[in-house]
Amino acid sequence: MKKGTWVTLGIVIGIVVLVVLALVGIYNGLVRAEETVSEAWAQVENVYQRRLDLVPNLVETVKGYAAHEQETFEGVVEARSKISQMNLSPEVVNQPELLMQFQQAQGALSSALSRLMVVVERYPDLKANQNFLALQAQLEGTENRISVERRRFNLVSREFNTKIRVFPHQLIAKWMGLQAKAYFEAEPGAAQAPEVSF
Amino acid sequence: MLKDLALFVLLFTAFSSSLYALDIPKRPSTYVTDQAGLLSPDARARLEQVLSAYERQTTNQVVVLTLPSLEGEALEDFSIRLAEAWKVGQQDRDNGVIFLIAQAEREIRIEVGYGLEGVLPDALAGQIIYQEVAPYFRAGKFEEGISRGVLAILRATQGEYQSRIVGDLRQGELTPQELEALQAQGKAVGIFVLAVIAILFVIDFFRYQRYLYDHRLYLDRYGFWEWWFRFALLLFLLSFIFRILFYTLLFSRGGYYGSRSGFGGFSGGGGSFGGGGASGRW
Repeated sequence: MKKGTWVTLGIVIGIVVLVVLALVGIYNGLVRAEETVSEAWAQVENVYQRRLDLVPNLVETVKGYAAHEQETFEGVVEARSKISQMNLSPEVVNQPELLMQFQQAQGALSSALSRLMVVVERYPDLKANQNFLALQAQLEGTENRISVERRRFNLVSREFNTKIRVFPHQLIAKWMGLQAKAYFEAEPGAAQAPEVSF
Repeated sequence: MLKDLALFVLLFTAFSSSLYALDIPKRPSTYVTDQAGLLSPDARARLEQVLSAYERQTTNQVVVLTLPSLEGEALEDFSIRLAEAWKVGQQDRDNGVIFLIAQAEREIRIEVGYGLEGVLPDALAGQIIYQEVAPYFRAGKFEEGISRGVLAILRATQGEYQSRIVGDLRQGELTPQELEALQAQGKAVGIFVLAVIAILFVIDFFRYQRYLYDHRLYLDRYGFWEWWFRFALLLFLLSFIFRILFYTLLFSRGGYYGSRSGFGGFSGGGGSFGGGGASGRW
């Protein structure tokens, strides 16, 4: 073989190495992006769970003062149990219909809770109860956390979806079997904390 | 095409909340930013001093912002965006608190960083707003209300973290164990690299012998050093790869330490927030 052949071979090897490095970079970037989405989803589940844990305590406290508002309590308990029955796997971020169901179930609990908070307005004694005030602050804080984490989830989810649609990434994403991630949809009012005035 | 359009519309509505009304003020270099003009210069300076000393003592960052108006933006939305932009609190402790007052809307919010949610839970933040701050605001005593609110926040968060001024001196250095682990790691990588080079060299040497044999009748065959040059080129490429690997490893170890806040002025340390805290009105 001539010297020229070796030089060509060297250049070809160099190019191949660079291409492989670029591909590895893209692969890692995609893996990282997907991990970010899962983390954001874990946070979303976390804050929703926090609200779920809060509900029994809240209902008990309100019951102590407003025993005959049976209907409202049932609404809350039912909405809560519907959510606990949902079997959520982390896969939900890949399935918009499942996420939609999740969002609807949580939305039902939100509106049941706001109905409960409206009922509370009729019981001044309850509204002065320290325990209740603390629970109410926790509920408001949790609702706010939910909207924060939902927004963050939507952001990273959108980022991921853009990433896997851009050209060279697209091919690798396909090869890795990555799917577009689902979003929460805006529902005016439903994500807001129940309005309670003091 | 239609589907794409539908998707676009959907996305647009889903993220339309990202079209914000009110701009986030630039991160100040003071703990107290009084845009609404509720504080006298004297009170402002006093608060500034207290908060600066407090950070030196506990590393917790407590920041006050008063605004003349939210200009139609929801308090909580603005507050969390502010928290994300200013990054109050130390990066590894998330120990920041933002005390936000919107004058026109008569709204107050205490936004609590992740690291302080334990000592300043939502219920306590709400209590501070309704018992310490709002009564004074209602009476028009803004200075008093803000001071009392800040003091209550400081009291709640006091015990959570200790200063690491001592730790500061050796921030960025490694503990002996870490150093040892790193050295062992470096040695392993070094041995591996040397072994690879040695193996390549031996293989190449034998291949050169074979080449010599095959080309024994050629006059313009490579001399050993020419052959060696080609090998060196290969090594150069390899070293390039290893260098990239090395830097990837280095940065993935999280070698970045949050910026240290200087004495006196405020500078965000990189703390994160998750929407904890409470809102209230007066």
